[in-house]
Amino acid sequence: MGKRESLQDMVVVDLDVHVNDTPTELAPYMDMPWRKSLEHLKNVPWRYLSIPGYSPNFAENIPLWPGGNDRMNVDSPAQMKKELSAIHVDIAILFPDHLLGIPVLPQKEYAAALARAYNAWILDKWCDKEEGLKGLIMVAPQDPEDGAREIEKYKNEEGIVGVYLPCTGLDTLWGHVKYDPIFAAAESAGLPVLLHAATTLVPHFPFNLHQYETFFAQHSFVHSFSMMANMLKMIETGVPVRFPNIKICFTESGVSWVPFIMMRLDKEYVENRRDIPFLEHPPSYYVKKFFYATQPIEEPDNPKHLVQLIEMFEGETQTMFASDWPHHDFDHPREVFNLPFSEEVRRNIMGENALRFFDIDSVGRRNKFKIETNTTK
Amino acid sequence: MMPDENVAGNVEDFPVGSHKVIKIGKREIGVFNVDGAFYALPNICPHQVGPLCQGKVSGTLVANKDTNWKRTWDREGEILACPWHRLEFNIKTGECLAYPEVKIRSYNVKIEEGKVKVW
Repeated sequence: MGKRESLQDMVVVDLDVHVNDTPTELAPYMDMPWRKSLEHLKNVPWRYLSIPGYSPNFAENIPLWPGGNDRMNVDSPAQMKKELSAIHVDIAILFPDHLLGIPVLPQKEYAAALARAYNAWILDKWCDKEEGLKGLIMVAPQDPEDGAREIEKYKNEEGIVGVYLPCTGLDTLWGHVKYDPIFAAAESAGLPVLLHAATTLVPHFPFNLHQYETFFAQHSFVHSFSMMANMLKMIETGVPVRFPNIKICFTESGVSWVPFIMMRLDKEYVENRRDIPFLEHPPSYYVKKFFYATQPIEEPDNPKHLVQLIEMFEGETQTMFASDWPHHDFDHPREVFNLPFSEEVRRNIMGENALRFFDIDSVGRRNKFKIETNTTK
Repeated sequence: MMPDENVAGNVEDFPVGSHKVIKIGKREIGVFNVDGAFYALPNICPHQVGPLCQGKVSGTLVANKDTNWKRTWDREGEILACPWHRLEFNIKTGECLAYPEVKIRSYNVKIEEGKVKVW
């Protein structure tokens, strides 16, 4: 018998790591007059995912307790590379920290300017500055047309591999037809889209989290309910039919909700298909075509149950490892690696599925450009 | 097996746009007059074996590229919806709209000497 593969023997792609996008970092990239505001925020004390006027989380109404990982920011590509290398990650997809909360900002122009600044900054300061660090174009849901322009602007950057759809406290869910320009731009650019939420206590569905008085309860629901709500909206408006070439990934929600929503929607479909006449198949067909990032991976007593849950939605080709580094609830890759998958499925979930999802090679180069480069030379 | 022709009733019992369930032996069969053409389907829904042919006949909603993704009303008088869970079937073909791979059987129907015959 051959030696069992280890993490070092395979490409590990991490679908979700976070960079410290402080106002001070972004200020030089910010349009006037908003640059003045970001410069002013230098003087305002900030905390993790909580900066007044920038990343308000509205959730600081519960007691905090000592213990756990206090440092939850990464400030440079070198630091990120060093820390990810220690957990055997080869390629990592960069998400913001503070601007996870961009949907809750009420001023359209300000939100759109922040997204533009983030995109310019992530490309200038992070993408490919260390091998395997890849960025996403952030689109502000407040201004879909500007988001579409940003995709058009950056779609051919080697360091950019997808589009980030922020979900934190999102008032109009992704899938509403007002976002069609963003989906059209992403599809035309051949870039996948990734949804990501974070905790906040704004009252928009599915964020009625003010009902809960502990972080245990708030955080139990926030991510997976957000993903379910947005997925349902996209199916309700026929996004996977109207934009059939877009790859869509749901992050930071684990995977055990996927069989639930798949079966729930199919049950409803029997009676109410006419409401969604553009679907060419039952909802489960589309749920199985979506992609899922593993973190926070469920840890059932019997790990086989998790493998079975993934099999239920044919997730062997759709599930992708994510750590959420450096956040408090990150998963070490071995948590996923050690699950009782076949060797092939393990390789797929740890990295190969992500290489196909982003259409990149094992060091993070976009295959699209390799072909174009070859043909033009 | 239902090899023999069975009389479902007189033609005038099935005006255009109407349908009714008849019994032939142990079988319940829905007979439909769609614009003067006759169709017959088993009165059993493959979903939860509800009395399919006691359902309402109407049209359905369609939205696709050809309609510019706008909902349009289509095939009025050709779509049967099960009274239990509203699963829709194309009366002319027996095809289930929600699950295209599902198709219920169609019986043969003909008109002879003023009688509707089913087999």
